[in-house]
Amino acid sequence: MRKLIRGMRRALGLHHPGRNLEVWPDDVFILSFPKSGNTWTRFLIANLVYPETPADFSNINRLTPDPEAVSKRELAKMPRPRILKSHQYFDPRYKRVIYVVRDPRDVALSQFHFHRKRGLIDDGYSPERFVARFVAGETSPYGSWGENVAGWLATRQNRPGFLLLRYEDMLEDATRELNKVASFLEIPPDAERVANAVRRSTADEMRQLEKSQAQLWSSTKRTRQDVPFVRSAKAGGWKTGLPEAAVAQLEAAWGHLMTYLGYELLFPAKTTNFDSQFVETLLHGPSR
Amino acid sequence: MIYGIKHVLKYALGQDIAGRTLAVRPDDTFIVSYPRSGNTWTRFLVANLLHAQEVATFANIERLVPDAEAQSSRYMRRIPSPRTIKSHSYFDPRYPRVIYIVRDPRDVALSYYDFSRKYRHIEDGYPLERYIGDFVAGRLISADWGTWGENVASWAFARGARPGFLLLRYEDMKERPDQELTRIAEFLGIAASPKLLQTVLDRSSAERMREMERTQGKDWVSTKDKRSDIPFIRTASVGGWKSKLRSESVAEIESAWGNIMAQLGYELITRKAENAETQFAGETVLGEHRG
Repeated sequence: MRKLIRGMRRALGLHHPGRNLEVWPDDVFILSFPKSGNTWTRFLIANLVYPETPADFSNINRLTPDPEAVSKRELAKMPRPRILKSHQYFDPRYKRVIYVVRDPRDVALSQFHFHRKRGLIDDGYSPERFVARFVAGETSPYGSWGENVAGWLATRQNRPGFLLLRYEDMLEDATRELNKVASFLEIPPDAERVANAVRRSTADEMRQLEKSQAQLWSSTKRTRQDVPFVRSAKAGGWKTGLPEAAVAQLEAAWGHLMTYLGYELLFPAKTTNFDSQFVETLLHGPSR
Repeated sequence: MIYGIKHVLKYALGQDIAGRTLAVRPDDTFIVSYPRSGNTWTRFLVANLLHAQEVATFANIERLVPDAEAQSSRYMRRIPSPRTIKSHSYFDPRYPRVIYIVRDPRDVALSYYDFSRKYRHIEDGYPLERYIGDFVAGRLISADWGTWGENVASWAFARGARPGFLLLRYEDMKERPDQELTRIAEFLGIAASPKLLQTVLDRSSAERMREMERTQGKDWVSTKDKRSDIPFIRTASVGGWKSKLRSESVAEIESAWGNIMAQLGYELITRKAENAETQFAGETVLGEHRG
């Protein structure tokens, strides 16, 4: 019976399609593993593309919808080209992808706090234990961090329709990185427009919005309000926030990928035998 | 709307094709490859290895090693654990244990051309050169497989060198079947005697499979209602592309996936790989048993 009700909702297009989204070839995806700066990137891009509508938590799912939070019917009615938010592991149907990657040590720490916020773990939960589950890919339905990142990079890096951004580079110079996005989206160069988008999407701005709108947004309503969604918005928090044993676990699993992405290892000798050259060479793609 | 109702009913009754909606169990093992890469051969090898008392045929293979992309959700649910399942899907993080077979894409393309004629997706006169363009772009091919490069790279890089992943090259299986079969047996945790390995290889030989296709092809889900004048079990050989593909076509494939090919030890003839160390690096992912 539950299946039948679910089926009827599907037939009426009321369900959130998630991975079963009907994809158009001109869809643009803002994609990342969770807790990697996706929401910030969404705000930056929404404010860049729709300068007449300042992005906030009440309209972000209309401007850059999340197929896991918006119904199939609404998604089908959107004007094209759509700009969508996603955490999905590799999907060959996505032809235009802006992929945001972040140091997995910071990602793990951020997800640890996010799971506290959502009440999935309690405050006393050990970070080592969380990181072990994180490495095994058990903390999200989008593959492990390494599977998500490697799946996209190995298939798409340096090919047309793919733009790789590092969260850390965005923190260092958001304007420079957003200019890359503008050129990827074929938006004519306009320094004023980019500057405005950056200004409207600062961490302070977003924290203010979260305070007043947390109950209006699918990702924050019905979660602990004492743990913020927009957290430190910093790079390197893992150095003080994660125990060394947890860092070692992360590096042992994905040291090769981290090295490729320019994340310096704390324990370079302990990384796997998976040669970084292997990744490097493949990822250079046919265009070089 | 009519489609909607049909879909809902099928879904509610479990008659929908499992495919990517398959309910994966933690003790499932998957045999995965891009199509036309030796998956059916591997399926027979594994079936004969796991079920020594029951010779694998096209009549029972869907029970011994079911095809998640040809069978319904309900059918898949009724297979007892631990299941061994065949798939052509590009990377799926839910698959806990994976035997992945890769084959030289130049041979895959050639084989896929005949397969597409067999399935009446293209006419006999469809130019091979044009087909290679379709193959490289992923046209004419299910979105669930991705392109050859997407399928191979998404699996090899997400899972390569991680536990629970066994990467096999079709060409190695042809060259030293007993050795590669031993790796499969070890991966499956089967202590196989040389005698059993030989029996498994005999029962899964290309000749035997061709013979079975002749007598059972009209009943098997992957061959029934398809052109019977073009075999499903084709040459089962390595390097056919050298005489059959034009150099423009070879160049097209190598230009799209040369780096992945080089990593996997497939020598490029129309361009150089990006890095001299690729051979060594490929070894680390393919495992120590190679070469």
